Amino acid sequence: MLKELKFLLAVWKANLLSVMEYRVAFLTQVIGMMVNNFIYFAIWIIFFDRFKDVRGWGINDMYVTFGVLASAFGLVSLLFGNAFNLSDIIAKGRLDYYLSMPRPVLLHTIASRSIASGMGDFSYGFISYAMSGQFTWDGLLRFILATLLAAVVFAAFLILIQSLAFWLGMMSNFSQLALNAMLTFGIYPITLFDNYAKLILFTIIPAALMGAVPAEFITQFTWQTLAELLAGAVAFLSIAVTVFQLGLKRYESGSGIQIEV
Amino acid sequence: MNSVRKYWAIFQITLINSLAYPGELIGRSLMIIPFMWIFYQLWKVTFAASGSDVIGDLTLRDTLWYLMLAETIELGRPPLARTISENVKDGSIAYILNKPYDFLLYHFSTAMGETVFRAVMNAVFGGAVIWWLVGAPAHPEGFLVALPAVFGAWILHFCIMAMIGLLAFVFEDVSAFMWIFQKFAFILGGMLIPLDFYPSWLQVIAKLLPFSSMIYGPARLFVTPSLSMFVNVMSLQVVWITVLGLLLTLAYRRGITQLTVNGG
Repeated sequence: MLKELKFLLAVWKANLLSVMEYRVAFLTQVIGMMVNNFIYFAIWIIFFDRFKDVRGWGINDMYVTFGVLASAFGLVSLLFGNAFNLSDIIAKGRLDYYLSMPRPVLLHTIASRSIASGMGDFSYGFISYAMSGQFTWDGLLRFILATLLAAVVFAAFLILIQSLAFWLGMMSNFSQLALNAMLTFGIYPITLFDNYAKLILFTIIPAALMGAVPAEFITQFTWQTLAELLAGAVAFLSIAVTVFQLGLKRYESGSGIQIEV
Repeated sequence: MNSVRKYWAIFQITLINSLAYPGELIGRSLMIIPFMWIFYQLWKVTFAASGSDVIGDLTLRDTLWYLMLAETIELGRPPLARTISENVKDGSIAYILNKPYDFLLYHFSTAMGETVFRAVMNAVFGGAVIWWLVGAPAHPEGFLVALPAVFGAWILHFCIMAMIGLLAFVFEDVSAFMWIFQKFAFILGGMLIPLDFYPSWLQVIAKLLPFSSMIYGPARLFVTPSLSMFVNVMSLQVVWITVLGLLLTLAYRRGITQLTVNGG
């Protein structure tokens, strides 16, 4: 376990040095993403200024939900950037490179890329929480924990969906659709949805575990929400890893020469 | 005349090419379905909470058909800025420059060719969902009235996206400019909330900017068509197309003087 952690730290360090190689591009992406998030959130400010609340869900709830979702998304982009294009790696036979290395294939693959803009998302999440009017120091600790758990759920969802490429081949459109659905449903007020829709948001598209539930855990701690988050993170990660391992048994590739940079 | 035929041929080739992978075309268009469903949930609750059938002159049905066309315009657009910036960064712009066609008009023709079927498929899926949820649009003829404005919106979008792509002459990466432009289009174009629901001062500003001509104008014309609105929307579009078209030409001419391509 400690060995893998050291390995991960080394990979992340190399990734960071790699994205920092083009500093202007790196800073443009980080700052650009923060500005981008701020402008996007302005839509919600306008909405709640006019309509006040949606079944008890107000702008302050939106700040926290948006914050935790942005930070979790940013964390996965930054640390496990290849989780977003795992299906392409599988379908194009690029797993060969990772299979030939003496490290866990899944971990090595998804950690081998950093998306620089993720730093902007990650940082913006904290700013959003600070602006929510619900900031407390113990809340900040819960925000960090909730971000980690939401990031696990999100990474597991990406791995699970993209691992279907072992069976379905190229599926970038489907994975893009799933990603968009996860983010869209995650950011909208949970109070909009009826019980059937909520069931979907906790299972097939676990957007509630990336937005509404972590936000609730941050603003008003209960053991139940913490248990929901932990159970969701463990369950989705286990399913995702199992599906990836099952798929890996079916993996085959041609003799194409791949260069990993 | 020959030159029009040339670009028409490029448009046709891209159009046919976009049909080569129908699965991909359909798959990409399915994205509009969750968006439409969530918009329905949001606005159904919002209209119910407001206790009124009409907000800012729009009913729930108008609002949802408005959002359907707004999404169709947005989701139908190809990632033009990325394509042009890649052309600039990897030097493949040189390959296009030595051909007997204009770089910008070539990209305009290909962008239009890629857009048509994407937009049609989005309209089909998005329209089907909204029809099922709230019924037919109040003014089905509005679709035909709005078509010239939709075309105008795509021209405006091309001008801005091409300018962002050309920024690659100056910046290493133009993604941030794309994101920010897209979000400005969302907020000031009325992409997620019709501009009629905004505070009056913001409505006045937003309706004068080019973003509103790219989304709000065509979508509003679709749900509440009238001659006066048609004239307003089209005139504003013509003004912005002229201004942005000129700026794009200047940016292109300036950028091309800085071009250095090594090797081949």
